[in-house]
Amino acid sequence: MTAFALKIVTPDGLKYDGMAEELIVRSTTGDIGIMAGHINCVVPLGMGQAMAIIDGIKKYAACIGGMMSVIDGKVTLVPTTFEWADSIDKDRSLASESRARAVLADKSSSQTDIKLAEARLKRALIRQSVAEKK
Amino acid sequence: MAGVSTKEIKNRIRSMESTKQITKAMEMVAASKLRHAQARVADSRPYFEILHGTIADIVSANSEFSSPYLQKRPVKKSVYVVIAGDRGLAGGYNSNILKLAQSEFSGKDIQVLPIGKKAVDYFRAHKIPMITEQYASAADMQVGDCFSLAKQLCKMYLAGEADEIYIGYTNFVSVLSQTPSIMQMLPLIGHKTGTEDKASDILYEPDSDEVFAAIVPEYVGGILYGALCESRASEQAARRTAMDAATQNADEMIADLSLKFNQARQAAITQEITEIVAGS
Repeated sequence: MTAFALKIVTPDGLKYDGMAEELIVRSTTGDIGIMAGHINCVVPLGMGQAMAIIDGIKKYAACIGGMMSVIDGKVTLVPTTFEWADSIDKDRSLASESRARAVLADKSSSQTDIKLAEARLKRALIRQSVAEKK
Repeated sequence: MAGVSTKEIKNRIRSMESTKQITKAMEMVAASKLRHAQARVADSRPYFEILHGTIADIVSANSEFSSPYLQKRPVKKSVYVVIAGDRGLAGGYNSNILKLAQSEFSGKDIQVLPIGKKAVDYFRAHKIPMITEQYASAADMQVGDCFSLAKQLCKMYLAGEADEIYIGYTNFVSVLSQTPSIMQMLPLIGHKTGTEDKASDILYEPDSDEVFAAIVPEYVGGILYGALCESRASEQAARRTAMDAATQNADEMIADLSLKFNQARQAAITQEITEIVAGS
């Protein structure tokens, strides 16, 4: 398969810089797949699983927030957080899940707390489902 | 007379030595913090640069200008986010960035959003209207804070409470050189050189307005975080340099005073001998 240049950068550093054959990410409106020769495009990212085929091997990652752009055949993924399946701290995400559930179960939680907890729960669930796909 | 003088000199040497110990300790603390901060800058810099470059690419290629983030409005109100440190004794670090920011303010209706205790103190003393004093601790700011602050700034921009938003931070060039700079965050600006002939056939999914509405807060948050990392590293580097210079100065003064002390001691002995010889 033809490969294209892929760069993945987060505030924590450069996560990938090299060639890839395919990339599937969750945008705000659903999954979007990129292959070599894609038209120039800009897509805001939602919360979900990302999959990249690098040297014929499928690699999964939890990819949350940010944006992806394809300009002149170069794909740049700029998420807020991006973790490859093998670097996800599962215990931490389990702890985060139970904390979020506790806030949601508590009726006295404020509206902003509930919103934050919902987002945290979603992130935790995504991480856990991705971590299983190592 | 000589006795008083030697005692005075001895006291000064002693106080100089304790000052030197403090500056030396501060230098070492700053050096260790600098290492962490430098690693953070190295991590965040590609993000900062790529994010900025990508947005500039998109903006340059955009011909619709329908998103409010791209439209230049007549400027009535400006907002400046200014990042300084929490503590002094960092050479010119705080005063450089604050002076640069102040020089940009003239003739504008401005509001500032200070980050760091020194920035808050400075703007309070100069009676410059502040949006919030919530971010008085630059050292405690997390990525999450940057993103929530970005959302707040974008909301203000869309509501017309701010027609342009700038960020003032200190660029970490190297351990020995840090330059304060001001950057425009909103409205978005493209590449300076005219790339208008570049075909604007970018696909926006779902559409350009929504894309910008979703990515601009992320972009502003990312820029804030990057600027914060740069500023923090600059602060530690500036402090390390300043404290290193202070330690050296203390060394020089101690050497100078020791010489004077020995001279005074010698003079006292000579005088005593002269007195004894003259008396016999």
